[in-house]
Amino acid sequence: MIKNDLLQVHSNRHLYFRFIIRMKLTLIMILLFLLNVKGNVYSQQKVTLDVQKTKLSRILKLIEDQSDYYFVFNPGIKNFSKEMSLSVENELVLDLLPKLFKKNGLAFSVSESGLVVVNQQKMQTVKGLVTDLEGHPLAGATIRLKGSSIAKATDLNGQFEMEATSGAVLVISYTGFTSKEIILGAETNLKIELVPDHMMLNEVVVTALGITREKRTLGYSVTQVNGESLTQARENNVANALVGKVAGLDVTSTAGGVGSATSVIIRGASSLSQTNQPLYVINGVPMENSPSGIINTNPNGNKGSQWDNAPDMGDAIGNINPDDIESISVLKGAAASALYGSRAKAGVILITTKSGKGSGIEFSSNFVLEQVMDRTDWQYVYGQGTNGEKPADGAAAAQVGGSSWGARLDGSSVPQFDGISRPYIAQKDNIENFYDNGHTWTNSLALNKSFEGGALRLSISDLRNKSIMPNSGLDRQSYSLTGTFEPINRLKIDARANYIIEDAKNRPMLSDGAGSANYNAVFLPTSVDIRDLKPWKTDAGQEIPYNKGNPWDTNPYFAAYEIVNNTDRSRLISSLSARYTLDNGLFIQGRAGQDYYTNSYFSVFPEGLAYSAPNNLVSQKMRFSDVNADMLIGKSFSLGEDFGLTPNIGASYRNTKSDITTNQGTRFLVPGVHTIVGLKNKSVAYAESEQEMQSVYGTMELAYKDYLYLTGSVRSDWFSTLAAPGLNNKLNVVYPSLSGSFVFSELLESNSISFGKLRAGYAVVGQATDPYQTALTYNFKSESLNGAPLGQISYDYIPNSSLKPSKASELEIGTDIRFFNDRLSLDLTWYKKRSEDEIIRVTIPTSVGYAQSVLNSGSIENKGVEALITGTPIKNDQFSWTSSLNMTFNDNKVISLADGLDEQLVATSRSGVGFLKNIPGMAMGQIVAFDYAYDDQGQIVKNADGTPKQGDLKAFGSAYNKWFAGWNNEFSYKNINLGFLIDGKFGGKLFSGTDYLGYIKGLHKATLENREELGNLAPKFYENTANNASHLFVNDASFIKFRQLTLGYSFPGKLFNDRIKALNVSFVGRNLFILMKKTDNIDPESSYNATFPGLELGGMPPARTFGLNLNVKF
Amino acid sequence: MKMKTKSLKLMGLILFASAAIFQSCTKDFEQINTDPVAYGPTNFDPNFTFSTAQLTYTGSIDFAYETWRANLIYAGTMMQGLSSVVSYWAGDKYLNTPWYTSAYWERAYAEQVKPIVDVVEVTKTNPKYKNLHQVARIWKALVFARLTDLYGDIPYSEAGQGYYMKNLSTKYDKQQDIYMDMLKELEDAVSKLDAAADQVSGDVIYDGNLDKWKRFGNSLILRLAMRLTKVDEATAKAYATKVIGKTLQGNGENAFLKHDESGARVTQNRNSQVLLGDGGQEHYYVKWSDTFINALKSKNDPRINVAVSKLWMSDGVKEMNPNYVSDPAQQKGMPNGKDLGNNPAYRIGSHPSYTTMPDYSSPHPGMIKRNGITFILTYSESELLSAEASQRWGIGAAASTYYKNGIKSGITFLGQYDPALAITDAAAEAYANAHPLTEGLKQIGIQYWLHQNTALNFYESWANWRRTGFPELVPIVYSTSDTQGQIPRRFPYPVSEAANSNAEYYKAAGAAIPGGDNLTGRVWWDKQ
Repeated sequence: MIKNDLLQVHSNRHLYFRFIIRMKLTLIMILLFLLNVKGNVYSQQKVTLDVQKTKLSRILKLIEDQSDYYFVFNPGIKNFSKEMSLSVENELVLDLLPKLFKKNGLAFSVSESGLVVVNQQKMQTVKGLVTDLEGHPLAGATIRLKGSSIAKATDLNGQFEMEATSGAVLVISYTGFTSKEIILGAETNLKIELVPDHMMLNEVVVTALGITREKRTLGYSVTQVNGESLTQARENNVANALVGKVAGLDVTSTAGGVGSATSVIIRGASSLSQTNQPLYVINGVPMENSPSGIINTNPNGNKGSQWDNAPDMGDAIGNINPDDIESISVLKGAAASALYGSRAKAGVILITTKSGKGSGIEFSSNFVLEQVMDRTDWQYVYGQGTNGEKPADGAAAAQVGGSSWGARLDGSSVPQFDGISRPYIAQKDNIENFYDNGHTWTNSLALNKSFEGGALRLSISDLRNKSIMPNSGLDRQSYSLTGTFEPINRLKIDARANYIIEDAKNRPMLSDGAGSANYNAVFLPTSVDIRDLKPWKTDAGQEIPYNKGNPWDTNPYFAAYEIVNNTDRSRLISSLSARYTLDNGLFIQGRAGQDYYTNSYFSVFPEGLAYSAPNNLVSQKMRFSDVNADMLIGKSFSLGEDFGLTPNIGASYRNTKSDITTNQGTRFLVPGVHTIVGLKNKSVAYAESEQEMQSVYGTMELAYKDYLYLTGSVRSDWFSTLAAPGLNNKLNVVYPSLSGSFVFSELLESNSISFGKLRAGYAVVGQATDPYQTALTYNFKSESLNGAPLGQISYDYIPNSSLKPSKASELEIGTDIRFFNDRLSLDLTWYKKRSEDEIIRVTIPTSVGYAQSVLNSGSIENKGVEALITGTPIKNDQFSWTSSLNMTFNDNKVISLADGLDEQLVATSRSGVGFLKNIPGMAMGQIVAFDYAYDDQGQIVKNADGTPKQGDLKAFGSAYNKWFAGWNNEFSYKNINLGFLIDGKFGGKLFSGTDYLGYIKGLHKATLENREELGNLAPKFYENTANNASHLFVNDASFIKFRQLTLGYSFPGKLFNDRIKALNVSFVGRNLFILMKKTDNIDPESSYNATFPGLELGGMPPARTFGLNLNVKF
Repeated sequence: MKMKTKSLKLMGLILFASAAIFQSCTKDFEQINTDPVAYGPTNFDPNFTFSTAQLTYTGSIDFAYETWRANLIYAGTMMQGLSSVVSYWAGDKYLNTPWYTSAYWERAYAEQVKPIVDVVEVTKTNPKYKNLHQVARIWKALVFARLTDLYGDIPYSEAGQGYYMKNLSTKYDKQQDIYMDMLKELEDAVSKLDAAADQVSGDVIYDGNLDKWKRFGNSLILRLAMRLTKVDEATAKAYATKVIGKTLQGNGENAFLKHDESGARVTQNRNSQVLLGDGGQEHYYVKWSDTFINALKSKNDPRINVAVSKLWMSDGVKEMNPNYVSDPAQQKGMPNGKDLGNNPAYRIGSHPSYTTMPDYSSPHPGMIKRNGITFILTYSESELLSAEASQRWGIGAAASTYYKNGIKSGITFLGQYDPALAITDAAAEAYANAHPLTEGLKQIGIQYWLHQNTALNFYESWANWRRTGFPELVPIVYSTSDTQGQIPRRFPYPVSEAANSNAEYYKAAGAAIPGGDNLTGRVWWDKQ
């Protein structure tokens, strides 16, 4: 099926061809496995039988003849006289036995010497305890009766109890651990230890609504990442740690500096202008995660628009402490996330935080250094100045202080902006000299205490970051308290509170030059040593600008040390859930949670700033509350041993409220004292927002034996945001889903395939919208004119009173196959997703009177393939190598836009000559720029001045990458382990504002051509060239990066007389170097906004980090 | 089994029951989806919006955005009223800087057109706002007239109508059609002002005085009519004839907006924010042009008091020198087309007039107060236009009478900026008597230019120069100038229009401009 589809898509054939080439690499890996699979062991004995209507006792005899097994039974039991037909070839005896006996009502046990005792089957009550290797009970582990649809879960103390016959096989599985099979013998009180799953096959995963399910039952792809892999080599924003780890995930950190937001796009962007960020659900409670963007109303955050000159205000996921994370489950497709209905369109990421496990103390400490990486490759032939001349004096130098259109660098003594003459030589290390060595020190302490009927976990974490940006950093303290209790039998209570205090100091300004240290450091003229820009102010506090001709070019030191952009956030994420199970197995679960935060933003543009800031001081307070409550009722029914039926129904309620008060003003009354009350001119602004959603849903899971599973669900959402005053709008929409899984390996007699499953799912999900878009409203400006109030239309968008909910439907088909006792596994998915009627804000010409129009617009399609290949090429007592390669191909296409709209303008580059557009028939986020104009002969048409004539605007490709791959490797030798991750993205485009300004300012190497012949016309020539042929700045953003390296040593506990249970020290490094890139002067990952890729300017330069990590368990 | 079906039934029942409950719970959704800190069209007084529309005509709330770029950087220097050596003052050197020439379009539609169109629309059928509606129509014509004068054919009939027409693009109307419609609208609106109807409470210019609005409307008709003398003299004459004698009656009826310091960029005087150096070194490096100062000095014009030297002593310090020099003899303008580079042909320091930068004359501090006023339409202007109409067609009173009134009031009106700029009536009378109308249109044109320069309304200086050719300015010569030595005659359309849904209209409109979509192309009324 997949193959057929590949062949049908002719236009993309060459891309698929590349995919096939990449697949060849995996073939080589498979060969490695074949060489390493070991021969038979005793229990691997096989038999070949072909008998017709033969008594069971006779068959047993035949097996004894072919193997070393010996059967002990009482021939008097009539079950042994049953006749049966059987044909097997080279089948494992151990696999054959259950088939022979179970159907015939017999139970058996096998001893190590091959002695098989067969008895009449009898039901018995089996009790057991499931623990990890350290003996901590595992609550919620699944115990399934092999071959049937019957399953149970362990309670809080890891205990379970079930009815089974001797000889039955129990499959015990738990999230993050390798599953284990046990053949029931006489022993009815079992103690089962599970081994952590290093291959991350994750046989049990967390699914929608926090329900843990065996992966085999799922008709869709779910990838689970263990918390441990997020804390080895840390990222301050935990989402960044997912880079290259999950197929189908496009994780991009932004060049936003300290505490900045991260973009996570699952299976391609599916929204034309709303957020494409997934829903994050923490312990069942959804958490809002809209970073500041084009649709964000925060007046002070970086929206990524052309005139934006503001810091990145971060996102919510970045607040989460990675040490508290037990696991992350990525629900990629609609089928997986269908139960989240209107919040699921961009996928769902479920985060489960750690709960109390055993009793003990865990401590970890991590210290990493950050070092800036200079990506520019400027010309160093000509120096500061203009018209090809050295500045004659200080005033002239200052007037064109930002220009590198001077004379040839000849080492002579030349006056600079401050009037001091210095050697006219290249200054190549300005970036290194300006940025500091940053560092991050994280210390976490967790206390676990288990007691009868419950467990507690308390963790405290402290992160202290000093950014590479001078005078900037981030402090974060996280407190997490988790309690799980079973106060009375069958009542489970789970209470969690996560309190985060995050203070970011001086979030750097992005994009434009005003107040931005990044911008001014990167564009400093070639002959100016950035260190000469110190001191950055006079004794009177006035900025000493290096470019007096354009005071918007702020002295980078002044920007870093005098401008203040601080945020303080306190966030409490709490949840309480209770689940009661009745005698008959019916359970009722109620859950309530709140994500509450206050955010305060404080910025100061001091009085000495050469350009005047719009507001000298801004003090903004925001409160945000998202309350979610839901209930779920369900019960599992067994219709005989073969059929299982599990219906669940539920309902949920969500209310989101926020308010924001902004006090701001100008002119400090007392110089140097920066308070809101100490301003001459003050104004206040206030906004509120509220929305509510109500939902009902139901699911039905159907299981046939242990190899066929079918799940259907339906959800209906009612939105307050669609209500329009006076109109009886339809407020709800129904989202159905159906998915199925077929574990074919259960029916297959294969030695090489240890597990195999086919899955398929189809679902419809959606995306909600923002409040207050259905009616025109008016309000007042904060300021008044000599007492006259200034009224205005409240919003910059045209409201729409007839909005309807958007929908996205997705079909996915996939397979999960594991070979050679799980030494090699393949997880492959094909998907096709179509979004329709999305509620978006379309950018419209300013002459319409509004900046945007709210519309139900258009249709987008994403289709792609994602593959995860994991293997252990080498594994022996001392050494093992696990390698996994994940690959994603996503083909995105805008099918249509709203009526009357040929193209949708998404964003404009600061240069004004580069655009981001959605164009029907092309992939989303096209980078559009001016092409050359060509004459009939195909020659480039030139203007009188020799510059290219401006041609038409042309789309040069999508800003979204088409290909992603991540290659993870883990080596372990005795107590040493080594891991590395290489990841790459391919096919995306980036419009470089840095390259554009490199032309304008005479820094770009391309401006060397003919510079002397052009003489004093050179600056104008290259400025015209840049404006007329802006396609020159469309970069291929493809890259391969050596993303992560870890080298660790685990000290055995006995070294410390077991006082310390485990101690691990490792060296970690992230973003160490680039293996491939195609951008000249920027990092390929330097988009400045998390809501869309493709535009770049004045972002933080990339940094490599490396350091040490220590983990201790007491 | 029985038990199981019972459970199933129970669950089904709960599902349906909850669905029913939810349906009824969503009744308050309308209320939840109503912004609690906003007002609806029914309870909001459009007078509040009208105040905003009046304010934004004086310039953008976003740091004088288009005032800075269009009025000062371009029009002011091209008309040789101002002069600057700041490298990005593109108009001084006839350079094409697309992101400056597009500034007026970008801000005017968003900040001027949006509110005024809304006020006109919401008051259209509401008898409660009868006069507001008419006054808003007058203001709307004022807004669009400047837009079309700068660019030519522009979105007009569909502009600002996003909410009412649900349009996603706006067609470009022909300038000729726009002018005809504006004249018709003005005539109709003036005729419908009704003393018995509502008080225009949001009017921050005339405080709702309808008589003044009538004469303002007529003066505006005169301004628009006279714009057509080159291209459609018949229409020009017809409308001028209708309103001559019914225009503003004296400086007391000058239309100006008084700014407010407390609202920072939003309410402070636009020209002042720039000329006080808020965004750079304009305070130090922007001077009166020598063309303008020489014109005043050559005729001993008392308006030389708008010029003071040694007002700013340093490019880094934005404190005014309290001991600035106002002695007329010591005033000198700075030549246009100069820079701070090394080439002696252009280097300001190499010019014979150069001594020090502070020695060049700056606008008087009384004209650039943060709470100062922005002139919108003046009695002096109306009188000079009447003089021209009388001179051309012999309508109304004698041209010399209008001319004298225009000169006198153009001198005495300066006191409205600040008492420090006040000139006595006697001095004005003396000057007017010394310079009677002898050279007809040329003299009127020069006086119009002098007057609009002192009103810091360089948009109007530029438009009238393009129409009349007066004063006869000598273009500057600069090596990288983009106009082959010509003074620009219009702003190119914004490049951003090529990238949005107006792209087709933009291309067609650009192709239709005589001379092309550049600085030297011509708008319809600027017939060659």
